Amino acid sequence: MRRVSLGSRLALLFAACTAAVSLGAGLLFNRASEQHFIELDQQLLASRLSLLRTQLAGIHTAEALKARLPALREVLSHQADLGMRISGADGTPWFTSRSGLPPAVLPTGLGTQHAQGADYRSLTAPLAPGSHASPQLALYLDITHHQHFLQGMQRLIWLTVGLSALVTALLGAWAARSGLRPLRQIGQVAAGVSARSLTTRLPVAQMPEELAELASTMNAMLQRLDDAFQRLSAFSADIAHELRTPLSNLLTHTQVTLTRPRSLEEYREALHGNLEELQWMAQMINDMLFLAKADHGLLVPGQAPLALHEEVDALLEYYAPLAEDGDVQMLREGEAMLHGDRHMLRRALSNLLDNALRFTPAGGQIRVALAAGPSISVANTGVAIEPAALPRLFDRFYRVDPARRQGSSEHAGLGLAITQSIVQAHGGSIRAECSQGWTRFVIAFTEGQ
Amino acid sequence: MKLLIVEDQARTGQYLRQGLNEAGFATELASDGETGQFLALSGDHDLLILDVMLPGRDGWQILQAVRQAGRDTPVLFLTARDAVEDRVHGLELGADDYLVKPFAFSELLARVRSLLRRGASPSQDTSLSLADLRLDLIRRRAERAGSRIDLTAKEFSLLELLLRRQGEVLPKSLIASQVWDMNFDSDTNVIEVAIRRLRLKIDDPHPNKLIHTVRGMGYVLEERPA
Repeated sequence: MRRVSLGSRLALLFAACTAAVSLGAGLLFNRASEQHFIELDQQLLASRLSLLRTQLAGIHTAEALKARLPALREVLSHQADLGMRISGADGTPWFTSRSGLPPAVLPTGLGTQHAQGADYRSLTAPLAPGSHASPQLALYLDITHHQHFLQGMQRLIWLTVGLSALVTALLGAWAARSGLRPLRQIGQVAAGVSARSLTTRLPVAQMPEELAELASTMNAMLQRLDDAFQRLSAFSADIAHELRTPLSNLLTHTQVTLTRPRSLEEYREALHGNLEELQWMAQMINDMLFLAKADHGLLVPGQAPLALHEEVDALLEYYAPLAEDGDVQMLREGEAMLHGDRHMLRRALSNLLDNALRFTPAGGQIRVALAAGPSISVANTGVAIEPAALPRLFDRFYRVDPARRQGSSEHAGLGLAITQSIVQAHGGSIRAECSQGWTRFVIAFTEGQ
Repeated sequence: MKLLIVEDQARTGQYLRQGLNEAGFATELASDGETGQFLALSGDHDLLILDVMLPGRDGWQILQAVRQAGRDTPVLFLTARDAVEDRVHGLELGADDYLVKPFAFSELLARVRSLLRRGASPSQDTSLSLADLRLDLIRRRAERAGSRIDLTAKEFSLLELLLRRQGEVLPKSLIASQVWDMNFDSDTNVIEVAIRRLRLKIDDPHPNKLIHTVRGMGYVLEERPA
């Protein structure tokens, strides 16, 4: 199908509407005038009829008529557009006022007739009403000029229809064009969007009501793109920064080691040092790839039915030695089922437990609470985190204490981000809260998982 | 044991070859897909280590050709890409294992040994031992130098793994996966703590230490001359 521009469509539509309306109005007017003429003619003919009836009263034969003819012609001479025909009760023509009149309409009543290039309104009636043997009188009113007027009006109507359609088409095209200007503006903004110009916004206040929603939707889209882009840029910058430190360590360490001959033990020590940095980097790159996969929606969790309490118990058993070492008590409350990916969920929960163990002081407690929904909450006692920092805990490379430098045994700050992406891949959400000496991470999965 | 490595990155291939040679394997190295496939089909290798991205023919095509020739040689894939489809595709074609770069050599070595062992008939051992350490698999009891050692269930599993693979360096990730079924890399020091606790029971009372840390690589159970 050929594409017709919105402006042309609207213009055509306007034109069609105007044409239809003016045509309808014209036809209605035409018909009304026609009706009006008929009524006028009828009144005229009726008055003439009653006049003639008086004048011709008592005539029953052609002979009797002849005697009255001069008077009759006198009457008719004042009425140039009136013709008349009188015939006997048996139909024999007695008198015709002029030639070219159409034959009488039978038996009685008003009619419109055409004869020899002229139009007539005719009225046929008995001369003496109520008598069967009455002669018939037919009156003819020449209405040719009326008909001419009506035809002229019809032409005018068609002209009006055509012209008004044309004019509204042109006006409509212009109106549509100016009405659609905000759309073109949106198009221009969209065409100009690039990574560098994500801050451009459409002026919603100046948009017509119908487009305001589209404009604000587009602004929201731009906002999301901008946010995502900012995050991505920050992430890239963070990656570069995070890798720079271990890389610089490796370079320095290796070059210093090579500056002069050393003992076997020293070389071995240098290699071990390098190995630790390298392992840290490899771990971070793998974590980042995992997050990148999650960002691209490539994290497709399995859908196996899982008893979360069993998974939590397995994890608590795994972390038990560490907890005992740190004199931290770990316990699980409640049970819950979830359809999900076992390995991924274990990884997500393990990051939470790992995190909790890191921040729970000796003698503290870690509680994992499961509830239907399902929801999982991992809470630990310890120093409260600032409320402002809570949502940022899931940001990549975010550390509560920015001054703390990661060593090979330190964390890159990706664990909670990974947990969040796993939870989100399962259609859940995670939040952190802090109250009454407990730091709590709450994962909520949507019902009917 | 003879291994074929097909890897187009010269350094990677060379390092792998050196590492595997020093671990006691005979290795052949091909640096492109065509040669790799020719060698895989003509030789009698116990294991193939294939890079996915190769000039000529990719790792998957080689795997397909090998399987079509009716050979069920175990295949370990190395790849720099970690797309889910890649993994699924590889496993569908009959790959036995999959390692994503960057990986640790100790991890590769452990996987290679696992794959090679898979072919062998499963051991029917009722007990495992090294020096004066003895593990009764049926009664789930451990003793050293004749005296009984109390172990938790996981400690027993850990010791069993170390004993079954004595002499091999086991990376922490492999231990976490085999003993606790935790199949993800994590920078936690849970394994260190678990090993330390096991040492406390197994080695500390005895002058002859059996559990050794190989720095940066993992742990090994073996008898070392004092």
